[in-house]
Amino acid sequence: MRANFIFSEVWIGLRRNLTMTIAVIVTVAVGMALLGVGLMINSQVTSMTGYWTDKVELSVYLCKKDSAFESCKDKGAISQEQKNALQATIKEMPEVESVEFEDAAKALENFKISENNRTLAAIVKVEDMPESFRVKLRDPDKASAIIESIEGQAGVSNIINERDLLENYFGFMNRLQYMALGVAILMVGAATLLIGNTVRLSAYNRRRETGIMRLVGASNVYIQLPFVLEGVIAGLIGGVFAAVLLITTKVLLFEGIQSYMAVPLGWDTVAGVITLTMAVGVIICILASFITLRRYLRV
Amino acid sequence: MIHFDNVTKVYQNQNRPALDHVSVDVDKGEFVFLVGPSGSGKSTFLRLVLKEERPNSGAIHVAGKDLARLTNFKVPHLRRRIGCVFQDFRLLPNKNVYENVAFALEVIGKPRRFIRKVVPEVIELVGLEGKAHRMPDELSGGEQQRVAMARAFVNRPMILLADEPTGNIDPATSIGIMKVLDRINRTGTTVLMATHDAAIVDSMRKRVVELEDGKIVRDQSRGVYGQAY
Repeated sequence: MRANFIFSEVWIGLRRNLTMTIAVIVTVAVGMALLGVGLMINSQVTSMTGYWTDKVELSVYLCKKDSAFESCKDKGAISQEQKNALQATIKEMPEVESVEFEDAAKALENFKISENNRTLAAIVKVEDMPESFRVKLRDPDKASAIIESIEGQAGVSNIINERDLLENYFGFMNRLQYMALGVAILMVGAATLLIGNTVRLSAYNRRRETGIMRLVGASNVYIQLPFVLEGVIAGLIGGVFAAVLLITTKVLLFEGIQSYMAVPLGWDTVAGVITLTMAVGVIICILASFITLRRYLRV
Repeated sequence: MIHFDNVTKVYQNQNRPALDHVSVDVDKGEFVFLVGPSGSGKSTFLRLVLKEERPNSGAIHVAGKDLARLTNFKVPHLRRRIGCVFQDFRLLPNKNVYENVAFALEVIGKPRRFIRKVVPEVIELVGLEGKAHRMPDELSGGEQQRVAMARAFVNRPMILLADEPTGNIDPATSIGIMKVLDRINRTGTTVLMATHDAAIVDSMRKRVVELEDGKIVRDQSRGVYGQAY
């Protein structure tokens, strides 16, 4: 009886305010989808940072014959003694976990695996590849101090911190995340105002009914619930659309990125994000409805 | 049943009180006319009984409850024991007679079986048998007011407040309305009716409370509207 009555009231309210309801649904859908994309990027960046932090190494490239690097000019290739001395020095540093030597043949092998440009891969010869030490650090944050101390050593051509390469990518992802979250906040604000307006219109449309309900002693819950439920249902439908958008984003965008980045964004994360955005959407709808009702539906 | 003790009500931004130190006692089962010119405080009196307004000073007891102590949460329960009828009927235009009366029970969560049983009884009590499926705009003013009375009475309230119920109705039809109010009163319901209609007050010979500028100037059992004191 009660549920029946309330749901028929909700249905009437949604139908009477169809255009406003659609506006609410679209705003909530877009806002929540952007919020979700932001959260998904955040989770992707976090998991990738963790993954790469373990793997990031310093590459200490060594001088070859006729190397173009300033530090190798006129000195020729690094000698075997220098190599051994350098390896020993690096190994003795307390921040260093391990040092591995990569000779030109291995470097070429790795290069051929990772290089997509076939023509380039085909013409590169062993002599073109540099030798290097792969230095693994205990704490990647202390890389700069080590770089400084190795840089001046004889036979070192240049040092590349792999993290610098990744940082560009992470920086881009972070900016994308903040942009998505920023727009999401705007959309959430717009959704709140729209829901408020919808509830206000709804309350005005039904002022006769609510007046009589007050008069005959209907409880506040009974009077307010249909209005709040209207907001909740619009929010839920918006949330479903947002979920569809998020799944599409995962399939089209993140699966594409993953082929470069090795850390997949799992469906469990997507499910979590969808649940969270739906909850946020519904809570916003409930709050906006209640606040508006307090102003326009005196009980 | 209704007890006003030294009640004063001043609306915001107004110097003159709408009710000025009013004390009245209405017993269970009484029929009381509240008379006086426009602006004398009749409507304020009724709104105070419903706790739609709060008095600035004084105490009000309705149906055994001290309204000052009644929390907002409990106000709906007070209103379930009070029926209301107005000059402008206040029916829902998109519901028929039966649905208008049933609405009052639906919104306080009464079971459907109960509603099916009592609504036809009340429609018969107010003299609208056979018109349950008419829409309000197919009814005369008198008939619409009967629907409003059926809606006010369907939950068997202890008190019925009527704010100029005959104000929009011709004198001949008003007699029928008064008969229904009298019938409701005979079931033990206390009836408090605010009115301008001298002919009706004179013919009923019930208790009359007269207000003027927010003060009670007369309280007379078996009274008439104006002249005879």
